[in-house]
Amino acid sequence: MTTRVDAGLSPQLSPQPSPLARKGGLKAHERRIGRLFLLPALAAFTLVILYPFLRAIGYAFTRSNLQTPEPVYIGIANFVSILGSPEILGAFVTTAIYVVFATSGTVILGLGWALILNQPFAGRSALRALTLIPWVLPSTVTAFIWGWIFNSRFGVLNAVLVSAGIIPFPTAWLSTTSGAMAAIVMTKIWFSIPLFMSFFLAGLQSLDKEQIDAARVDGANNFALLRDHILPHLRPVLLVVVVLGVIGNLQQFDTIFALTGGGPVSATSVLSIQVYRLAFDQWDIGMASALGLLWVATILPAAYFYLRHLLKGA
Amino acid sequence: MLDLSSRFSRFVFGAVAIAIGLFLFFPIYWLTISAFKPDAELYRIVPTLYPHDPVLTHFATAFGRGNLMQQLKNSLLVSCSAAALNTLLAVYAGYSFAKFRYRGRRLVMVFLLSAQVFPFGLLLISLYPVITDLGLIDSLPGLTVSYIVFALPVSTYMFYSYFSQVPSEIIEAARADGAGELRIFHTIVLPVSIPAVVTVFLYGFMWSWNDLLYAMTLIISEGKRTVGPGMLLAYLNEVNSDWGGAMAASLVASAPIICTFAFLQRWFIQGVTAGSVK
Repeated sequence: MTTRVDAGLSPQLSPQPSPLARKGGLKAHERRIGRLFLLPALAAFTLVILYPFLRAIGYAFTRSNLQTPEPVYIGIANFVSILGSPEILGAFVTTAIYVVFATSGTVILGLGWALILNQPFAGRSALRALTLIPWVLPSTVTAFIWGWIFNSRFGVLNAVLVSAGIIPFPTAWLSTTSGAMAAIVMTKIWFSIPLFMSFFLAGLQSLDKEQIDAARVDGANNFALLRDHILPHLRPVLLVVVVLGVIGNLQQFDTIFALTGGGPVSATSVLSIQVYRLAFDQWDIGMASALGLLWVATILPAAYFYLRHLLKGA
Repeated sequence: MLDLSSRFSRFVFGAVAIAIGLFLFFPIYWLTISAFKPDAELYRIVPTLYPHDPVLTHFATAFGRGNLMQQLKNSLLVSCSAAALNTLLAVYAGYSFAKFRYRGRRLVMVFLLSAQVFPFGLLLISLYPVITDLGLIDSLPGLTVSYIVFALPVSTYMFYSYFSQVPSEIIEAARADGAGELRIFHTIVLPVSIPAVVTVFLYGFMWSWNDLLYAMTLIISEGKRTVGPGMLLAYLNEVNSDWGGAMAASLVASAPIICTFAFLQRWFIQGVTAGSVK
């Protein structure tokens, strides 16, 4: 089909039309081709993203579980049950804690690391490249690494803390409520620093050198420079990074599942884990979808900023 | 940019650099050396800082037990096909968004990009019956198709922002010469876009290779398992976990992705941050 449309306009096949007609035809032709190029992606998008999402909206208003395999419409009953379940509501709090600590931790360390890698020193580009490693590792590997570090009996963290006298005896980090949360947050910060650092570094590289030199001549020290010039310049980048971080952290699943499985009990059961449990442990598709929609609602504010930023000038 | 001429500023800079550097790189060091420690050295309350008696036994068990080789093969097959499929879909869509003007263009863009905010976990709930209806549950093609979810929106955007920078004059000139749109794209635009193609391919590859959620849910048979869930089941599902084996298998599973990035990281970072940082 594409070749036919194409041939219609190729000069050897069409008689020489007037320049004006050709122009109008070209515009229409261009629009057709533009849509044609979009078609495969749009079809795939509809099949694996849009249709499943719409279907999930449908499920959210039905009873659909192991006892009732054929979905039955029950209105907002699933949402009412969610509001009445302290365990499920707890997932929102757990998620909020996780997102706040993981995002702020990554922003601070990512910015610090970008400032360091922005200084000239020997081996800098090698270090920049190596920094990406935590980001590209498979989730299971990341979980293994940190599970081994946090191991209650042979973990290096306990060994260091005990020998430094910070804790009297080894702790089973992943079996305590706050220890498990600290572990999943640290893991997330660890493998998100590279991406955040890259954003900050790109921002720092677009900083006006002359402006910095002028501030130096005026007697600004490092702190003043950071406060008055570098951080204001990084503000737009910071916004993008925070928004991306919040979206990513709200959705994080793999490393949490592999490291703690949501436990102990439900101490690290963030929304992603809770939805997964409802759907694939209990096969309560109705409840899982309803909670999933509320989960989407928590992402929407950040998503709005993100999309507005991306579509600037489109 | 920072002035490190005073002793104090050098000290603060050095201390922060070492602290963050340790946090970033010590875990990787620990993973690597743990894979080479014999069990007697691995399971000690006070660990050794480097393997005093390095052995390869964990690698032997890693390849011996489970189906690490099979899983690596499955992962490679799925990740390469998913990355190729994703690149193919995104490259045309990104070009369409960047260089054509038609009604509904912006709306479709918003739609496609907003997909990034749907949690993968939520989509999985209803993707599961869709994949089942297609007869693709518990199959590598089914997993491949599902991975479009992860990478397509961002990939399309990466191509869009790359193609937006390709001067329209080249395209106009080719049109004036009577070249067809497909030919213009394939012989003029695509050849100068190799960096973007490589970046997007890698991006798709990385998501598929590193995924756990979809791989463990959509694949049920042992023989079709990919490396992520495969390792998880093989090493942490027992009463006595084999950490040495887990570390060795981890090194093996990470090698392909680290090697690829070692060569292409510069392009990759430019591609991923492009358009998001002005």
